[in-house]
Amino acid sequence: MSEADDKKAEIDRALSALCESFPARFLGAETEQALRDENAKILGKKGELSAILKELGRVAPEARKAIGEAANAVKAKVEAGFEARLRELAMRKRDAELNARPFDLTLPARVPLPRGHRHPISIVREELVQIFRSMGFAVFDGPDIDTEENNFGKLGYPPDHPATDMQDTFYTDKGHLLRSHTSNIQIRAMSTMKPPFAFIAPGTVFRRDDDMTHSPMFHQLEAFLVDEHVTLAHLRGVLSEFAARLFGDGTPVRLRPSYFPFVEPGAEVDLGCPFCKDEKTGKRLGCGVCKHTGFIEIMGCGMIHPTVFEACGIDPEKYSGFALGLGLERTAMVRYGIPNLRMMFENDPRFLSQF
Amino acid sequence: MLASYNWLKELCPGLTLSASEVADKLTGAGIEVEGQKPYGAPDECIVVKVVAMRPHPTKSGLRLVTVDTGAAQQEIVCGAPNVPEPGGLVVLAPLGTHLPAKNMTIGKRDIGGIPSEGMLCSDSELGLSEESDGIIILDQGKRGQRVTEVVPNDVIFEIGLTPNRPDGLGHIGLARELAALVGIHWKPPFVVETEGRDTIELLGVKVTIEDGVRCPIYAAAGAINVKIGPSPAWARYRLESLGVRAISNVVDVTNLVMLETGHPMHAFDYDHVQDAHIIVRRARETDAMKTLDGVTRELSEDDLLICDGRGPVALAGVMGGADSEIGDDTTRVLFECAYFDARGVRRTARRHGLHTESSHRFERGVDWDDHAYVLARAVDLTSRLSPGTKPLAGHIVVHGEPLSRKVIRLRHAKIRGLLGVDVPMAEALATLTRLGCVVTSSSAGNATEADVEAPSHRPDLLREVDLIEEVIRVRGIDTVPAELPAVRPTRDVGGREAAFSRVREAAVSLGLSEAVTFAFTTKESLTKLHAPAPSVTLKNPLSELQAVMRTSMLAGLIDAFGNARRHGERSARLFTVGNTYEARNNSSELREAADNLPVETARFAALLAGDAPAYLKKPRPVDVWDALGIAEEMVLRVTGTRADLRRDTSFAHLHPRGSAAIYVHDTLVGRVGPLHPDVLEAFDLGTDVMVVELDVMPLARAQAVRCVPLPRFPRNTRDIALVVSDDVPAGLVLSGVKKAAGDLCEEVSLFDRFTGDSIPKDHASLAFRVVYRSKDKTLTDAEVDAVHTRVISEVNAAYGAKLRA
Repeated sequence: MSEADDKKAEIDRALSALCESFPARFLGAETEQALRDENAKILGKKGELSAILKELGRVAPEARKAIGEAANAVKAKVEAGFEARLRELAMRKRDAELNARPFDLTLPARVPLPRGHRHPISIVREELVQIFRSMGFAVFDGPDIDTEENNFGKLGYPPDHPATDMQDTFYTDKGHLLRSHTSNIQIRAMSTMKPPFAFIAPGTVFRRDDDMTHSPMFHQLEAFLVDEHVTLAHLRGVLSEFAARLFGDGTPVRLRPSYFPFVEPGAEVDLGCPFCKDEKTGKRLGCGVCKHTGFIEIMGCGMIHPTVFEACGIDPEKYSGFALGLGLERTAMVRYGIPNLRMMFENDPRFLSQF
Repeated sequence: MLASYNWLKELCPGLTLSASEVADKLTGAGIEVEGQKPYGAPDECIVVKVVAMRPHPTKSGLRLVTVDTGAAQQEIVCGAPNVPEPGGLVVLAPLGTHLPAKNMTIGKRDIGGIPSEGMLCSDSELGLSEESDGIIILDQGKRGQRVTEVVPNDVIFEIGLTPNRPDGLGHIGLARELAALVGIHWKPPFVVETEGRDTIELLGVKVTIEDGVRCPIYAAAGAINVKIGPSPAWARYRLESLGVRAISNVVDVTNLVMLETGHPMHAFDYDHVQDAHIIVRRARETDAMKTLDGVTRELSEDDLLICDGRGPVALAGVMGGADSEIGDDTTRVLFECAYFDARGVRRTARRHGLHTESSHRFERGVDWDDHAYVLARAVDLTSRLSPGTKPLAGHIVVHGEPLSRKVIRLRHAKIRGLLGVDVPMAEALATLTRLGCVVTSSSAGNATEADVEAPSHRPDLLREVDLIEEVIRVRGIDTVPAELPAVRPTRDVGGREAAFSRVREAAVSLGLSEAVTFAFTTKESLTKLHAPAPSVTLKNPLSELQAVMRTSMLAGLIDAFGNARRHGERSARLFTVGNTYEARNNSSELREAADNLPVETARFAALLAGDAPAYLKKPRPVDVWDALGIAEEMVLRVTGTRADLRRDTSFAHLHPRGSAAIYVHDTLVGRVGPLHPDVLEAFDLGTDVMVVELDVMPLARAQAVRCVPLPRFPRNTRDIALVVSDDVPAGLVLSGVKKAAGDLCEEVSLFDRFTGDSIPKDHASLAFRVVYRSKDKTLTDAEVDAVHTRVISEVNAAYGAKLRA
């Protein structure tokens, strides 16, 4: 036997020994790192396979091809073994992680940002604006401080008339006043624009009243529509639709005649109480909110007085219109069961955080 | 206004409704019955006759009264000082009677050794009046009769009248209204026979009206041989039941007639009317008078007076004078029934701080043509309340400016046009007639128009719409059907509502809670805040705390935070929106507004104090960077544009080390920073407070989003840590880096700031991440390295920034 033949046999033996031994060595590796180290020992540049093949030059050239193929086969086996063991170790690690002690989900959640709260008056305000917008009304913006003419005169409040007692008013040193209602806006709209129009005016109003049920500053929303052939029936139609959108389908609307100088006829509006409705019959059973009447007194309304039209330069023979108004505080109190008005102006964080 | 159910039934004989039905009817027609309460004595109480009386053997001040109940005699212990002589009629609450007014039940009692089974009652014990001195002494009734047969049970309505319905301030008006509502014919129930009497001429009274505008009508009537004394029980209890104290028969007459007709009257002791002359005139400088309430009044030339030959005897329509008051010795009475101008009465009443039953009615407008009825009724009642009286027939009347009934054209088409309901003309005219209107012209049958004369008791009926309202009111306004109008679209005018809404949304998304703050505040608060001095001041504030219109939103927020602190809340994240107010400067170009109204500026303000939110670790106090975050995010979320914060020490209320101006596109829109320690001290806040103030309207002009194409080539990122002196603001270094990096630089961000360890004192290591990217190709490392090296040398040259070792 030649030396070359010996060498070949030696390499063959070494290759098959390696092939025999590596699975056990891989199995012995308990961590990914140990496995990679073991793999490198075998397949690395200076690894065992390379060491074996170093002797290849001394093998007869015609035998080298066979050895090369054998070595490649071993390498492929080792690689496959490595991958398999690697997967096995990964699986084992995942199993261990999955089965470890569960996270303590009773620890408080990490909130990205503390929650902010809209004031209930604003919630109601934006909701009402949305309701009227969707019915075709737009917002007409006007000042909080206005002239006596816009707030009273053109609305048909005669000077020295008890009607002005209904609204004790703040005056400024320059002879203007803090508007006592949002009705100054209908005057501003009618004095500057030609009908038809349909506007709402949400806003801040002021009256000289400060006790448990009155705040010197509060909020109203007024809606008015002026066009040819507008009738009281249309007003009722809008009220019914409004009631349905605010308190739910089929909410009854009740009108009671009342008096506001700038409308004729004028009426108070009661809406069916949303809190004691019997879902089956639609009947109101009576509750604390509606004082057991089944109705909530919530707004005033009426057909715009011809005097108002005339004061604004609109021909009452050609145009007619309606106006309705409601208090946002009252609406918020009803909607959220807020027991007293004052709470809405104290801004107590314990109150604000409820909304 | 209180109204008696019994009285309404008397005045409206056909009425068959129960009290509750009456209340519903009236309320449904706009005369709101706000409450109703029963009036009357308990059922068990009976009329008894005093038989004998002796002092209590042991208790002084008490007496033993033997009474005859009709069935038996019994002895009652009584402490009242006014037990009548034997034969007098008093009221006994027998054993077991419950007296709701005093919430007591009569039990067997032993008083000083004497058993007493029952109680002799006073008006207040029976709930017949608010107060009383002594027990009831009746002038009518029989032994054993129930008290409720003498003083009938009643239901008293509490009516909330709108100011347009003065006719509802009398029972006749309410009765007329009820009759119209239920559809029964009604006419005034009372007619006086005066034939054969002496007439008013007997008194020889002369009336002169000097101001016929303020007093269009003055009428008077009289009675002689009057004997002043208490009114009979029925009259007293009628008054008491309506909350009016019975005083004496003649005064009671004026009150009863006022409650019946709604027309206030005045009774003069005619013997005190100097020169038998009544003069109605305006006050003069020399006039002085003492009103019935004992107050000496300083008069204005706008006050209308009733005078006699000597001087003022009454403040017309408001209150009588003390001098000509009815006294115990009055025998000749002159009744006044006048019509005074409503606005004048109101001015006088307000000027003197008086609000009387009389001024309340005159201010609203009484019936100007009912004096004949009113006076006849008063004279007749006097003769009934004061037996022996000689009533004088007729009255005298003097006119000032003539008044007339308004005639109004009613068109059938307009009824439908306004109501959207077809009401037959015949129904409309019938309704108006029942309310007292007179149809003066109409082609009968299916008329399309009619002339309608408004009655003198309805000053509110002035135009066609007023008549149409009456028609639908009586028919039932609630019967109007619902019909949706075709709303023609309209656009917003002004933009505050939408802007406020967006600002609120952004603020809430940043974890702020909304406070509603008052638009007025104190001058002092604004001074403490170094806010512009208030230029809109209230002439009639409710208190000094609300005397000026705010020029800063912070006052209200600081109040809110102060409240929260009082409740033990240390931290606050609050915001508010609203307007600030500043008077227009006369010289400024803003003066173009003709009405010169103040400028209202829509503002937002936020306040941060206490701890910043933290997770399972010791929280840190909020600082200026929290405030910057709110400022930047507010601007970004509302406008879609980055805010530009520039250090600015010119805001006196902010801490000079931490205050910045907020710009959007080079427009100043607000400011941010910690409150100045002086401000904290002035408001006694005791903790650091961060504030953000923004003008809302500039933010409302949001940038429209423009979509840009996504980059096609990859980014190449380099981190760089630079050590710089604290004198150099980080933002300056950042912009230096950006500038040096040039066009290839897409973004630079500061991601770490480190001090201490190896970093020299007063220096910080700032770590920036620089993102490089080309629009045209994938950058090679070599290309990026070249730029990045230049960046390092340039910032080193510019700011002395050294690469961190």
